[in-house]
Amino acid sequence: MAGQTPRDDVTPSTVLVVDDSRVVRTYIQSHLEKEGYHVLVASNGKEALTLLSDDIGIVLLDLWMPEMDGMACLRYIRENFPEIPTIMITVSHEISHAVAAMKYGAFDYVTKPFDPSELLVIVQQALRIRDQARRLRRAEAELDKAREHEISIASRIQQTLLLGAPLRDLRGVKVGELTIASKKIDGDFYDFHLIDDTCFDVVVGDVMGKGIPAALLGAAAKQHLMSALYRLMRGHKTGDPPEPAEIVSSVHAEMIGQMKDLETFFTLCYARFDLSNNVITYVDCGHMRTIHYHHQAGSCSLLQGENMPLGFPGQDRFTQIRAPFERGDLFFFYSDGLTEARNERGEFYGEERLVEFVRAHSSLEPQELCGRAWKDVVDFSQRETFTDDLTCVALRVEPTGPANDGAREGRITVPATLAELERVRGFIQDLCTGQGASVVDEEQIKIIQIVATEIMTNIVRHAYQDRGDGQVRIEAKASPETIEMNFFDQGIEFDFSKAPLPVFDGSREGGFGLHIIAHTADSVQYTRDAGGTNRARVTFAMQRRGKDAVHR
Amino acid sequence: MQFTVEEADGVRIVSSLPKVLDANNAMDFKADMARTLKGSTRVIFDMSAVKFIDSAGCGALITVLRQLKESGGDLKLYAVEKQVRMVFELVRMHKIIDIFNTRQEAILAFSHEQA
Repeated sequence: MAGQTPRDDVTPSTVLVVDDSRVVRTYIQSHLEKEGYHVLVASNGKEALTLLSDDIGIVLLDLWMPEMDGMACLRYIRENFPEIPTIMITVSHEISHAVAAMKYGAFDYVTKPFDPSELLVIVQQALRIRDQARRLRRAEAELDKAREHEISIASRIQQTLLLGAPLRDLRGVKVGELTIASKKIDGDFYDFHLIDDTCFDVVVGDVMGKGIPAALLGAAAKQHLMSALYRLMRGHKTGDPPEPAEIVSSVHAEMIGQMKDLETFFTLCYARFDLSNNVITYVDCGHMRTIHYHHQAGSCSLLQGENMPLGFPGQDRFTQIRAPFERGDLFFFYSDGLTEARNERGEFYGEERLVEFVRAHSSLEPQELCGRAWKDVVDFSQRETFTDDLTCVALRVEPTGPANDGAREGRITVPATLAELERVRGFIQDLCTGQGASVVDEEQIKIIQIVATEIMTNIVRHAYQDRGDGQVRIEAKASPETIEMNFFDQGIEFDFSKAPLPVFDGSREGGFGLHIIAHTADSVQYTRDAGGTNRARVTFAMQRRGKDAVHR
Repeated sequence: MQFTVEEADGVRIVSSLPKVLDANNAMDFKADMARTLKGSTRVIFDMSAVKFIDSAGCGALITVLRQLKESGGDLKLYAVEKQVRMVFELVRMHKIIDIFNTRQEAILAFSHEQA
């Protein structure tokens, strides 16, 4: 055994020897020091307590001692230094006590008189096992971290890959969307494909299952749908967009193999809106029936097709249906998480209730309609977490057609995390400078960007309490006269009275955000609707250099 | 984040600051800067790389300033970009941190204080 010194240099190899016999102490000490251990000695339990620290690697503890005996000392060590292994030193007729000590958590015992090499083996073993336990704990902690990381990646997949960028540049329609995942990530997805100025596609799908696999399949499906559209469009001699049925058939053919292996499927509603002819062409593949609210008649009809969900074998041709609509009509797409939410009595929220809800609230803005629909489901089921993912997309064809008054509108929905700040600023930049000549000068853009940064940070930090699971929707409008930004969130209501006042003497580092907003924007309003959506609305008048330049 | 650190006349000059200093990286900035500035008292930041700052970024600079002042030191800035200067003025940072146009001026200010 000689020459085997403790190797793990990160863990202390200090041995604390506690024995009332000076001879025994010195005997053990000299042997262990010869092997390269650092040895501390104590003559009783009380003295041992004063020497205990996290630097101690192992304790050799005599069972019988004056002052504080071995058992009391062992109990103290187990409670306060659970990681330090303790070896009891005993005489042969006390073995039953030593065994009792092991029940209290002692690692092992040695009986006097003992062979030094025997003691050394036990010490080495105890240290090795302690190190293994530590490594295991460390590995477990890392694994937990990795799992959390994985979930957050998947959550990003959902937020960025599954949920399409809302229609920003299309005039004549207003879109609202909402998704509430059941396990932080889900397989519900939606997307918007812009074909031209008067034509666009809305895609809403629901993958069977939840969690990461569903999210990944949803992302794949979305990707396939998008690429099929462009691939088929290139294939057409006239450059005309392929029919929705053609797109869905193509995606089904591409994905059926994979999906059969994964034993999964997804429902889908692929709808094309033609604003020139006021016609919707849709392919319904086992999805929930889309609600079509007829503005003139004040009534609803349901869009239903006869295709099976994608991934079901034995189907290769998908059929599409055309239906006319009027300007002012509203469409409500949703996943089964909405209608299949149950109340305490086990009753479903149901399609009928949802249709009636949409009809009764058809005058709401699409975004607010989505929030209110969710709220209605929450009220019905008396809970805010659901077993299934819940998604809805509401779309209104505006009563008046596309017009151009020199204004530009944009919308973006982003996860409520600080990592999105850059994207929010980019959105402002694009809105103000995109599409040809800039309507706003560079300096003004910087001012709007700083205000957007401060509002977004407040929403992430305070409305959503840094949880990172919410969403922020931003709608902005830029005209040569004014810029208006609206931030929507579903977090905690903003309370002015609790906001700290800024201190400008350098003693505090917080509280400047609201000051910056108040002193750069021309108007700021915070409101909250009945559906629990918070809205922060800020406006800027153009050709001004911040509020301090011109006093109203 | 990685900074460039130079020593001149007993003053530590930090450049290559991040392009954006906002709520997203302010915490990291504070932590990385505390490591970088361990043991220093007289510090100058070359602000030319910083193109965008928000209130949290200002807060991070104030933290650095406060830590340096506690150990008898000071923080001075130079080459502050337009947007950054605008935000500084809004939160009155220019009243609590000395701002110079050039590195030379900032170094000179320290040596005058010493004298």
